[in-house]
Order: sequence, then structure tokens, then C-alpha cells
Amino acid sequence: MRTYVLRRVAQSALTLLGVSVLVFVILRVLPGDPARMLLPDGAPESAVLELNRQLGLREPLIVQYGLFLRSVAHGDFGQSFQYRAPALRVVLERLPATVQLTVAAMLLTISAGVSLGIVTAVRRGTRYDVAGTILAVLGQSLPNFWLGIMLILLFGVALRWLPTSGFAGWTSLVLPAVTLAAFPTALVARLTRSSMLEILNRDYIRTGRAKGLAEQSVVLRHALRNAAIPVLTVIGLQIGALLGGAVITESVFAWPGMGKLIVDAIFFRDFPVVQTVLILSATVFVAINLLVDLLYTVIDPRIRYS
Amino acid sequence: MREQHPPLDHIGRRDFLAVSGAALALATTPGLAAGQAKRSGEIAAGLSERMLTLDPANHYSISTTSVLRHLFDPLIDVTNDSKFIPALAETWRPVSNTTWRFTLRKGVTFHDGTPFNADSVVFTLKRVHDNAKLIKSFVYQDIESVEKDGDYGVIVTSKRPFGSLPAHLTMLGMLPPSAGRNEEAFFQKPIGTGPFRFASWTHGDQIAMTANPTYWKPGIPKVEKVTFRFIPELSTRTAALRAGELQVIDRVTPDLVETLKGTRGVKVLDVPAIEAQRWIFQLGREPVKDPRLRQAISLAIDRGVIIKELLRGYGRPVDSPVPPGLIGHMSLPPKVYDPEKARQILKQAGYSNVSVDIVLMKDFYPKQLEITQAVAAMLGDVGIKLNIKNLEIASAREQRTAGTYDLFFSGWAHMPHDPDWYFGQWFTKAGSEKLTRYSNPRVEQLIAEGRVPDPKVRQAKYEELERIVWDEDAEIWLYYTVAIYGVSDRLRNFEARRDYYVLLSDVGIV
Repeated sequence: MRTYVLRRVAQSALTLLGVSVLVFVILRVLPGDPARMLLPDGAPESAVLELNRQLGLREPLIVQYGLFLRSVAHGDFGQSFQYRAPALRVVLERLPATVQLTVAAMLLTISAGVSLGIVTAVRRGTRYDVAGTILAVLGQSLPNFWLGIMLILLFGVALRWLPTSGFAGWTSLVLPAVTLAAFPTALVARLTRSSMLEILNRDYIRTGRAKGLAEQSVVLRHALRNAAIPVLTVIGLQIGALLGGAVITESVFAWPGMGKLIVDAIFFRDFPVVQTVLILSATVFVAINLLVDLLYTVIDPRIRYS
Repeated sequence: MREQHPPLDHIGRRDFLAVSGAALALATTPGLAAGQAKRSGEIAAGLSERMLTLDPANHYSISTTSVLRHLFDPLIDVTNDSKFIPALAETWRPVSNTTWRFTLRKGVTFHDGTPFNADSVVFTLKRVHDNAKLIKSFVYQDIESVEKDGDYGVIVTSKRPFGSLPAHLTMLGMLPPSAGRNEEAFFQKPIGTGPFRFASWTHGDQIAMTANPTYWKPGIPKVEKVTFRFIPELSTRTAALRAGELQVIDRVTPDLVETLKGTRGVKVLDVPAIEAQRWIFQLGREPVKDPRLRQAISLAIDRGVIIKELLRGYGRPVDSPVPPGLIGHMSLPPKVYDPEKARQILKQAGYSNVSVDIVLMKDFYPKQLEITQAVAAMLGDVGIKLNIKNLEIASAREQRTAGTYDLFFSGWAHMPHDPDWYFGQWFTKAGSEKLTRYSNPRVEQLIAEGRVPDPKVRQAKYEELERIVWDEDAEIWLYYTVAIYGVSDRLRNFEARRDYYVLLSDVGIV
């Protein structure tokens, strides 16, 4: 067991090393020059060369990589070219806004999506079903930026109930969370509906009803529990999509999250910020994988690794 | 425009400044004697460009320059009609072609109470010169020495004439020498002499400042608090203004003007900017190195249609490489639309089926793709095929560096209100090496001679060189940009700036 754990940890470290090499090399073979992006358009060539030297970009690639590894080992991800501040700090500063938005959108997705799915399944064929299905189709087909702007115009400009944009308190969270949740909510609603419909036709549901169980208990305790498995899988996948897919929502609502940060960092060739975000997320991913693999042995004692 | 520049002798400048200062004071404090202004309310502004740093020497962003103008004072300010007026320097004059002397304002203190004096200026200028990591460093490389001349005098000498130094200094806030002890900590919570004090900053989102009650300029600022929010998305900026969350936004595009005008409590202000949209040629490359082809391209473009139809009138016809109001502007023959003559020139020069590539930096300038497509149709009309390459910004600039383009969609805001940078960058051999590959010894000489401090000499040199590049069609000058702002009608005394700054120090709110 111990050798297994050690081997897995070593493998994970190797994976991360591989990720760092890939990220490092890909960024540097992209066309475009960080100093040229930082300096005003049309700065003298001498200034471009000098700034690149100052940023350490004129060293041979292998030397740059060695220096980078050494500082990462000390927890230093380098200075952001654009922000002129430690890249790690720049990234971590954006984290709370991203987490807040993702969590809010996720809660909305689960509560609204599952409820909508149940109602449309139980009331199949009624006008509730039709209305719910139309909502779900709209949610999945309206482009994010359009929905965001429409919500801003309605609730921010016309009614003035909510702030139009920015990051100040829960009121400013409502519109971006709704915008971001629209697509996954619709997805979850449709999936819950079809999954519920399948279960509601099963024999044991009929048996439950026959022995006089309350309808509520049949739907929520017996049907939903069994229908939830595929829904949970999709919700899990959507969390990842939400974290990565918030770029447009963040732009429309001027939300200071990570999605916009990484896109800008790639555009402006801010290598340290891109490296930090990618290496951090790879680390989280690898760690969770490792944890899950190790947990199997705990959960199911029949699984033994040697 | 020459006579608008202050005369060079010491007394003359003082008189001029006294008069213009008094005029400004009258204009900016209606009904209130200086020093008696009551301060109330707060203003929130939405800017298009994210501020990435609070270090005045470490960026060339227009948004950042105008935000930092509230925290820091430069030595010299520039008015909307490009006149240079005293800020922390009371007077300045050239001692020789390579030496400037600045006399500093007395009795000014930084926000922490330390006095402002020559040490601050020496520190700030030496820092920007010596630290090559700073984005503005390259502009100050001509400086040879910065010396104190008493506690309130500074002498700057340069390796070659540096006539545009006062202009550049309008963009450089003065720092206390103590900033050098721990720069990173200092710029987390900066201290200047400006009309507002730093309150808080959320990276990339917003910065808040509170009034500096001991500001040296009486009656300023007019409000207790200002907040600048960074909202690159124009529709979001517009919505926040219409919802009353913001009182001013910058960089409105022509197609949103009607929406804003139709909103109660919002008005639109516009002013011709100090920016020209111009397309550059790769002059070292066939076929566009041939001036006849360049002339034909210029003649085939109907600039009037672009201004009227695509910009809805928010553009101005060009009559010089340098926009009106700046030193060096002159009225040259207009660039006319004459497709017949273009066809003739092409025929005489033996061009048929000529094809030209234009590179665009994706989404960099508003309406750039529509404008380019319109021009492609116009050129197609006279038999020139224009291939549009709309590339991601970094890749586009890479192509420009490599010289693998014929035309490049470019603009130029004459930022320190002085054309020296523009000429030096695009029309000298060293400057244009990785850009336009322009080379003309006479122009090169005129640019060097135009670097002296004497505005009369500068104007004469610039006029001569502008005639040359205008006749060469060295660039395609399309139009001068118009700066459009959306403003709440609660604001008093807001000025739509030609340099895109949003300055709120003497703006009030009701």
C-alpha cells in the first residue's frame, strides 16, 4: 500500500512537471512579444529589447525554465508582466469573485433546474410542462451576452431594482448569477424531466402509489432519488464549465473574476499569470484524482493496490 | 497655431500664465471666490481601459494617466487646447537647447505631510530614467542629468535637445523620495500631492479617492469622493450611466449616441480628439514602396463617406499629419476623392490586378472592420484588391515587426500634446526600423532640428517635414477621431477632453 501511495504521488509530480513544460513551451512559441504588448504601440525597438531583457525573456528557453522551476519550488510564480505584481497574488485576488459567482450560479442551477424538471415531469402534458419546456429551450439557446445585456436593461436601467454591474454586495451578484445559470439550469431541468419520466413509469413507483404512499413521498423520496444519479453527474461536469465559461458573463457585468483575467493574460502574453492559473488548476485536478483513487481503497475494502 | 504658444522669455511666460490662470479660475469657480468653495457629493466615472498599476511611470495607458492625475500632480498640466500651464512647477524655461530649468511651487505637501521640493523631482526623474523596467523609461533616456538648484529649482540637461520634455512631464506624477524605500508597498497605497487621497483599490475593478482638504489649489476639489470603475464593455458602461450609477463614461461610440441622448438626465459631449486614424505602409516592400501606388490608394478612398456613414459624423477631415491645436499643425491641401485620377495613375504606372494586404489588430479600434471593408470596396472600384487580415493583437504586431504586411490599420493619439514622439517613431530610420521602414534623410534632419525648445523653430521644421510626408503619401491619413463622453446632467463644469482624459478635480455635482 505504501509503495502504491508513493508511486502515485511520484506519478502526480511527474504529471505536473509535464504540464509545466507544456505550458511554458506553448506560451513561448505563440507569435507575439510580451514587451511589445506592454509598451505603447510603436515604442522604439531598443526599448522592446531592453524590456524583454528586464523581464528575463532573452535568456535561452532552458535557462528560463530552470529559473522558473526554482522559483515555483519556493512558491514564487514570478511577477505579472501587466500588473507588475506577484502573479500568484493577482490570481488569488480574483479567486473570491469567481468562487462567489460560480457558487451562486450552481445553487441557482440546482434549485431551479431540479424543481423545474420535477414539475414538468409530474405535470407532463399540462401547460406547466409546455411553459417549463419553453423556458428550458430559451435558457439553452439564448446567448449569454444577449441575456446579460437584456437583464441589465430591464432590472438595472428601466426598473433600477439591481445594480447594472460591478462587484459590490449580493445585489450585484443576482444578475450575473442568473445569466451564468441560464444554460446549466435549462440543461439540468431537461435532464431531470426525462430522467424522472423514466422512473415514474417504473413498477416500484406504481407499487408505492398502490400501497397508499403520499404523492409527495413518491415523487421526492422514491422517484427523485433514483432519477438524481445522471443529474448529479451532469451538475458535477457543469461546475467545471461554469468556472471556465464565465468569461462572457464577467465581461458583460464587469465582474472581476478569473475568466477575464486569464483571457486578457493570454492576449497580452502575460506569461506568469497564464502559467500560475494553469499550473494551479492542474495541481488541483491532479490532487483530486489522486485523492479519489486513494479513497476507493477506503470505501471499498475489496480494492487493493499492490 | 504658433502664436498660441507662450513666448519663451521668462517674464512673457509669467504674464501669459497669470492671465490664463486667472481666466481658468474664473471659468471654473462660478459664483465662488477662490478658497471658499464648498465641497459636497461624490462622482463615479466609468472608464474603458483597466488600470493595472498605480505607478505613474509604469504605464502608457490614457485611463491610468487620467486616474493618477487625481492622486499625483505633475510638474506641468496641459489644457484642452494644448497649452502648458503650471502645476507643481511654477515656471520653466530653456537655459539652452539641451537644458531646462524648473522653478517649483512652494508650500505644497504630500498627503502624509512631507513637503514637496526639488528632492521629489530629482527622485522621480532619476527613477524613470534609471529603471529600465518602467514602461516610461524609454521616453526619458535622452536625459543626462537632473540637478537640484536650491530647494525649489531643478535643472535638467539632456544629451540632445529635448523640446518636448515639458509635454512629457504632463504625464508624470511627482513622487515623494520615500517611495524608493519599498516601491511595492508604496504603490499599494500611494501618496502624492494631488487633489484626492488614495482610499481603496480593487485590482482591475475600481479605485476610490477622497478629497485632499489641504490641496494647494484653492477651491479644489469640489466633491468629497471620486470613484473610477473600469468597465471595458461599452454596453455595460452605458447601462451603468443610464441607471444613474455612474455620472460620466468615456469612449462612447457613434452608434450609442442616440440611445444616450434619449435617456433622461444624460447628455452627450463630444470634441475633436488629438488623435488621427492613419494607415501605415510597409515602405520597404513592393508594391507599396512605389509612391504612385500610394497616391492612387489615397485618391480612391472617399473619406467623406467614412465620416458621414460609418462614423455618423463623429470624425473630422484630415488636413495635416498633426491634429489642429498641437504645435506643428498646418493646413495642407485636402486628401481628395478622385477615383478617375487613381485609375489613370495606376494605368500610367502599369499596375493591373494589384493586390495589397492590410493587417488589423482585432477589435482594437471601434468600427475598424467596417471601415476597412468599405475601403476595400472603394479600392476594388479602381482595380486594387485589398486583402483584409484581421489578426489577434499580438500576432498582428508580430507581422508588423516582421514587415509582412502592406498596410496596417493604426491610430495615433498625440499623447503628450506634442508630435515629436510621432515623428521620431514613424519617420526616422531608427524609429521606424521594425514599423514602417520609412527613410528620408531630409525628414530625419528636420525631426532632429525640430527637437529644440523654441516653438517657432519647431513649427517651421514641422511644417517643412509635413509637406514632404504629405506629398509622399507616406501614410494614409483617414480622419481625426472625435472623443465622445456620456455625462450625467447633474455634473457641473465637466470638460470633454481632447486627450480622452476624465478629469474630475474641478467638477462639481448637484
